[in-house]
Amino acid sequence: MNNTLKQTPTTLWKCGKCGGELQRGSVKASYLGNDFVVEELKCLNCGLVLITEELALGKMFEVEQSLEDK
Amino acid sequence: MDVLDQCLISTTERLNTKRLGTESLCPECLKKIPAQRVVQGETVYLVKHCPEHGDYRTLLWRGSPLWDSWVRPTIPTPPKECFTQIEKGCPFDCGLCEDHYKTTCTALIEVTQRCNLNCRFCFANAGTELDEPSLAVIEGWYKNVLAASGPVNVQLSGGEPTLRNDLPEIVDMGRKLGFNFIQLNTNGLRLAEDPIFVSRLKEAGLSSVFLQFDGTEDSIYQSIRGRRLFDLKAKAIENCAQHQIGVVLVPTLIPGINTHNIGGIIRFALENHPVVRGVHFQPVSYFGRISQEPTDEDRITLPEVIQAIEDQTDGLIKVADLKPHNGRCSFSGNFTRQPDGSLKPIINNSCCTGPERADELARKTRTFVARQWSGAETPTIQSTSSNSWDNLIQQLKTYAFSISGMAFQDVWNIDIDRLKNCCIHVVSPDGKLIPFCAYNLTDKNGHSIYRRER
Repeated sequence: MNNTLKQTPTTLWKCGKCGGELQRGSVKASYLGNDFVVEELKCLNCGLVLITEELALGKMFEVEQSLEDK
Repeated sequence: MDVLDQCLISTTERLNTKRLGTESLCPECLKKIPAQRVVQGETVYLVKHCPEHGDYRTLLWRGSPLWDSWVRPTIPTPPKECFTQIEKGCPFDCGLCEDHYKTTCTALIEVTQRCNLNCRFCFANAGTELDEPSLAVIEGWYKNVLAASGPVNVQLSGGEPTLRNDLPEIVDMGRKLGFNFIQLNTNGLRLAEDPIFVSRLKEAGLSSVFLQFDGTEDSIYQSIRGRRLFDLKAKAIENCAQHQIGVVLVPTLIPGINTHNIGGIIRFALENHPVVRGVHFQPVSYFGRISQEPTDEDRITLPEVIQAIEDQTDGLIKVADLKPHNGRCSFSGNFTRQPDGSLKPIINNSCCTGPERADELARKTRTFVARQWSGAETPTIQSTSSNSWDNLIQQLKTYAFSISGMAFQDVWNIDIDRLKNCCIHVVSPDGKLIPFCAYNLTDKNGHSIYRRER
């Protein structure tokens, strides 16, 4: 997760799918049937969410491990 | 002796009875004998016949969730290294042998046989003997566990391990050998009275305390342990909290003595969360010299514990939140405590959908236990409602809470198939790994297969 991105409500990121502007907002995340709401950058137009590699391999992976039961 | 006489069962009952074959032991002579699990509606008995000593019928399961629903199919995976050959067959060749289905989740190391309590129900061979294993012997045991199972979770047990002043050295040795999760099985007396000892244990790398905790009422302790102990238990928890050592409350559930207090124990655990990481219920089982065979009323089965959890917590925890873990030996449910005091179940879709490899299941168990039962980090985030990934991670770690239970087997209800699936292994004095129930099992006269007799 890029902390610089987190601290900025709007960024210069453009959506790769529709070209819309990305803004921080509530996103529903789901893993193994467990749902959570987290704040992430998403397209104001089509809703596509930006998940950086750092987030996927870092904090998101940590959450996944925490949900993997015995 | 209670005899199951087919002639006394009506035709309807007979048609509704399902019989499944397994093997068990004679409570009198410990000979291996054929047995049947007899399913009659919501009740299941183990029925067996010894040619010399007659018939036995023991309650295995009573109520809902139903026996048939409580399965977790496992594909056996043998130990990495077997310390015994198969000669007489299970359970007489434990070491582990190559016929054992499951690798180790937790290895138990008994560091002393001394104890400072004299309990009615105890697996340990309490006494005053001082012939304790030396640090060199314990190092050898640790190394045997590494060879057979790798750096699995370790539980230091006894007797009462805290009677050894060098216990921190034993913890330190285990950590240096590569064991990442070391838990202390204790009655908590010394932890309550000696906070410096607690700090030494923490510095040595102790992760968790498996605290004997039979209830929130002193009359319970008086009855089971012979002393009023509740205040000491609370003090032990307080001292562990100061050093961020996770505590798991472990009640031995005995019908008529503390089964009414199941909800009270869970509420106490939540009041002391997050230092208390969860509750692990152990329905009573019967070892040692027993003058009379335990009756159905002397037992509380897993579904009864599960149902009592829902009933006595007024639905805070629901039956549906609890799932089979090690087949019909255990259950578990995991939650995150919410700011309003409710518990949000963590949905477990990874279990119960199809056969799992035993070594993979053991690995998942070790990872989960080490994470859940270790001390929680001090919360650093102000608000639990903020939707950041950091908050979510902290909520899943610090605010995680587990409810689990495990039913041990005694000579009356032992099912050899279940024994082969055991992943809790005791290190014997000669360094072998013996499944927990085989190690502690005795015949009705108190004679053991594996544990050295006094």
